[in-house]
Amino acid sequence: MDKEVAIIGYAQTPYEADAEASREMQVLEVTKAALAAAGLKREQLDTVITANNDYLDGRTISNMRLVEPSGAWQKNESKVEMDGAYAALYALMRILSGDHGIAMVVGESQASVYGGYIPGTMMLDPTFDRQRGLLNEVSASALQARAYMNACGVSEEQLAGVAAKNLANAAKNPLALRADGKADVKKVLSSRLLYSPIRELMASPLCDGACAVVLASGKVAAKSGNPVWIKGVGFSHDSYLSERSLAEMSSLKDAARRCYAMAGIEDPASQLDLAEVHECFAHEELMAYEALGLCAAGEGGAFFDSGTTSMDGSLPVNASGGALAANVACAAGLARIIEAAMQIRGEAGDHQVKGVRTAVAHGQTGICAQENIIYVLGGE
Amino acid sequence: MAPNEGQSRVPRASIPFNPVFGWSVGNWMEQFFDGMKEGKILASRCPACGRVYLPPRMICERCFAKAEEWVELPETGTVETFTEAHVKLAPNGTFEDIDGPEIIAMVKHDGADTCIAARLEGGGVSVGMRVKAVLDPSAENVLDLLAGYRAAE
Ligand SMILES: [Zn+2]
Repeated sequence: MDKEVAIIGYAQTPYEADAEASREMQVLEVTKAALAAAGLKREQLDTVITANNDYLDGRTISNMRLVEPSGAWQKNESKVEMDGAYAALYALMRILSGDHGIAMVVGESQASVYGGYIPGTMMLDPTFDRQRGLLNEVSASALQARAYMNACGVSEEQLAGVAAKNLANAAKNPLALRADGKADVKKVLSSRLLYSPIRELMASPLCDGACAVVLASGKVAAKSGNPVWIKGVGFSHDSYLSERSLAEMSSLKDAARRCYAMAGIEDPASQLDLAEVHECFAHEELMAYEALGLCAAGEGGAFFDSGTTSMDGSLPVNASGGALAANVACAAGLARIIEAAMQIRGEAGDHQVKGVRTAVAHGQTGICAQENIIYVLGGE
Repeated sequence: MAPNEGQSRVPRASIPFNPVFGWSVGNWMEQFFDGMKEGKILASRCPACGRVYLPPRMICERCFAKAEEWVELPETGTVETFTEAHVKLAPNGTFEDIDGPEIIAMVKHDGADTCIAARLEGGGVSVGMRVKAVLDPSAENVLDLLAGYRAAE
């Protein structure tokens, strides 16, 4: 895509374990801030798409009562029950239809309300896995981690290294929930063992928060200052977790292939300056290196060891700390888009990487990253 | 009143959300459970591509077709991946410690293309380990017909 749709404003709340503000007030805060950043008024919005989840919110029609704070009253409004990165896709398509010029995209949820890992078990096959009680988001991901480590010769130290990198990066991101400037492999490996090889610090913290993005057509965006262009998007959906190889992220690979074709990316490792990956668990970041073509298949561990993806490497991954620093269901992927846009605009503050022109942002939904979506973003 | 003042005095109400659904397990799973009552492992096979689904699935997503053939598989299989569970998911959504680690394994039966996640009994596990199903045909709950797996002799 060439200058058809751009990000022209965004905002995030701080990510918290138990936010004092209600979800409505969090959404109001980010929507107003994103509009202000774009230099727009509510009246100028053509369409509003939110991302939230009935199970996480404990009521059906979870976008109910979000109409007011998202600026959607008497507007063309809809929602997706997936990550906010898919709400951005919906908005992108509406703008590409030619019928809408400006879209508000919101992702939000509050783990302090839905209380941990019970809702995630609703994603399991209800006639077998869910009834047997062994699988949940963490134990299933542990099965994936072991499958990947065994297939590609990845060590627990390498998983811990990814977590340590991201938690240290997060120390420079004022919005992060879990951050530790002194995180190292030893510290991660001494955190609580949940399901081997996954320890507490290798699993993303569930939290409360919201984020918002304003998308605009090329015509509108060209008149705004500093648009971040969507150059490509790709998405793909894989089989249920027990019916596919867990040792690779084949749907992310598929999504990347489509996205890169649209964006004109032939050699991602050299053409991309930064990646923001939605890694719910440390091993997923290594698997994403491979699926995104940043390194060869099976080389995720060695690629991490090379330092390429660290803050001072040639292709930093998760300069924000990624989802290991804060994983708001329905918002964490949209937050990756915002973080990538911030880097391109040079607005990332203490965690700014120098000279980011082209970046990839990733979002996922489902157990063991069953569905994946990626965007390639670029500046002028 | 200043913004946010007083919020901490509002108690948090816990509202249970316990809907009960009467799912049908579907014809294919019914045959799977009926098979285990007779000590048989029944899987479905896609006539178009030959892919064998265990637990049986009614549709082959790859061929966009009904997986309507049936095959009986041996009780033996291979551990594709595993985890040692040191915790279990508590009703409040947090993880609580359990007494000793228990092993959850993904097992691919010989002749199957998909896996079953189940408990591995007896301790000791590795990827590629040969295992055998532990069937309990007299189990009252059909979900307990397949108790788990243990090392194959
Ligand atoms: Zn087939």
